[in-house]
Amino acid sequence: MTTLYLYPLWVRVWHWLNAILFLVLIASGVSLHYAGTTWLMPFATARILHNVAGILLTLGWIGFVIANARTANGRHYRIRPRTLIGDLIAQTRYYLHGIFRGEPHPFHVEPERKFNALQQLSYLGVMYGLMPLLILSGWGFLFAVYLPPTLFGLGSVWVVALTHVAVSYLLVLFLVTHLYIITTGETVFANLRAMLTGWHRADSSSTSRSESS
Amino acid sequence: MNAPSGHPRSPLDHVRAPRRVEWRALTNRAPPLALLAILLCLCAIPLPASVAASIASEGADTAHSPAAAERQACLRCHAMPTLAYREPTTGDIVSLHIDPHALADSVHGQLACLDCHRRSYRRYPHPERAAPREFDCIGCHRDDDADLGRQWLGIDAEFQRSVHAVSTSPRAANFDCHTCHDPHRFRPAAVGEPLTEIVARHNAVCLSCHRRLLEPQRRSHAWLPNRDAHWQAVRCIDCHTPPAREANHEVLAAEQTERNCVGCHSSDPRLLAGLYRFRSEEEIARRGLLAQALFNEAYVIGMSRSPLLDRLSLIILGLLILALAAHGIGRYLVHRAGRDSRGRA
Repeated sequence: MTTLYLYPLWVRVWHWLNAILFLVLIASGVSLHYAGTTWLMPFATARILHNVAGILLTLGWIGFVIANARTANGRHYRIRPRTLIGDLIAQTRYYLHGIFRGEPHPFHVEPERKFNALQQLSYLGVMYGLMPLLILSGWGFLFAVYLPPTLFGLGSVWVVALTHVAVSYLLVLFLVTHLYIITTGETVFANLRAMLTGWHRADSSSTSRSESS
Repeated sequence: MNAPSGHPRSPLDHVRAPRRVEWRALTNRAPPLALLAILLCLCAIPLPASVAASIASEGADTAHSPAAAERQACLRCHAMPTLAYREPTTGDIVSLHIDPHALADSVHGQLACLDCHRRSYRRYPHPERAAPREFDCIGCHRDDDADLGRQWLGIDAEFQRSVHAVSTSPRAANFDCHTCHDPHRFRPAAVGEPLTEIVARHNAVCLSCHRRLLEPQRRSHAWLPNRDAHWQAVRCIDCHTPPAREANHEVLAAEQTERNCVGCHSSDPRLLAGLYRFRSEEEIARRGLLAQALFNEAYVIGMSRSPLLDRLSLIILGLLILALAAHGIGRYLVHRAGRDSRGRA
């Protein structure tokens, strides 16, 4: 058994702060979207919570982008085009078939590469695709007064509202999938523990370099 | 929420409807002799200290301008709250009072009275007609008014289509700009003015004629959920005019007004384009950008609703959860089978 220090403190703090904000935003967003339903939080409470959490999420995202550009963590988000297709096929096949056969995991965590191809693509899509769209459309709501009357020939508020809701739904799908996928590590709670402690535990045969054992 | 029975109160009860100064009636019908009689009586009464002070303060800042001196001369009588005459045909008391503070705050506050009224108004008794020409907004204002982001003639065209212009009801006879916009106190809503006050002030203009709407037995707005909350937060014209980015003067007849919740509670809400556009601008100016983002109130319920998208998303989310649950159960069964086989071995 080897352990790798994969998640520095700032990544873990950012991750758990993001997790809390996601939950607050989902709860308050659903309350705003379906306002009037009895078991949701009051509209006035949801409004201020959603605004505050949205602003904090924006700050967190900006911090993440800057930190990823300036620290070694950014290397985990660089795609390796030559092996990408093969890695994707192998990873998908493992989740759909190999995992039920007790086959070994096709991806081995390394200090230089902590995400498998599916993780890498989904995190890239979320952090550099969906999150900017969510944040832009959220701020578009906050300052709807400055929006032009139309965007792409459609009412701008409608475009902003539907973008925000559609991206929110996609991020909820990501969150649900993410919560399940983290249970597919060495043990059900291994990945969760790694994100709490920073240390990833792995079979020594699957790790090219170890920092401690 | 409706008021409890037995104590009918409306949120608009606290709004004092502006006193409709029937100055136009005066210009057309007041016999000079009747005016003279009342004025002589009233001028014999010493000015209350507050009125005298208000007249003095009104003229204090621009006392040296000819226009201010002229206003002071007119307000010497017209600032008196009791100045009035009895309309001979109807018997109604018609106020001739002009609030000096409201006049000073109004868009016409720097004008000399004779800029609009007849020159001969300088003398007393005043002539029967107040102005030498047809006297409405268009009479003075032109389309090149830089302070107005829209065309005066457009406003006039909207008004000409309004129920107030086309109605054959005797109550709508002689309806013109000044029926709603008293030229002695009119000012557009200003940035920084609380929205509730803007709503109350606008609605008070409508209620100065349509006051019976507030009577508890009137059910015309009973269909509106949270009626009182709507009346406090939304202007009458937000529902009773066609959707428009600016205040619209085409006031619709009651039966033409759309009872459409989705008109406001939708992704293309008219409130956001009208009242809440002003509200956002006002809050940004008052609180700054960050505070506006924190306390933003411009989200109208239903703005982001799309039944198709909602249904589709919930179905996909449900299917995803089912698929993941099935995957997890499969993993568990494989794990248990492996454990059993290892145990047997």
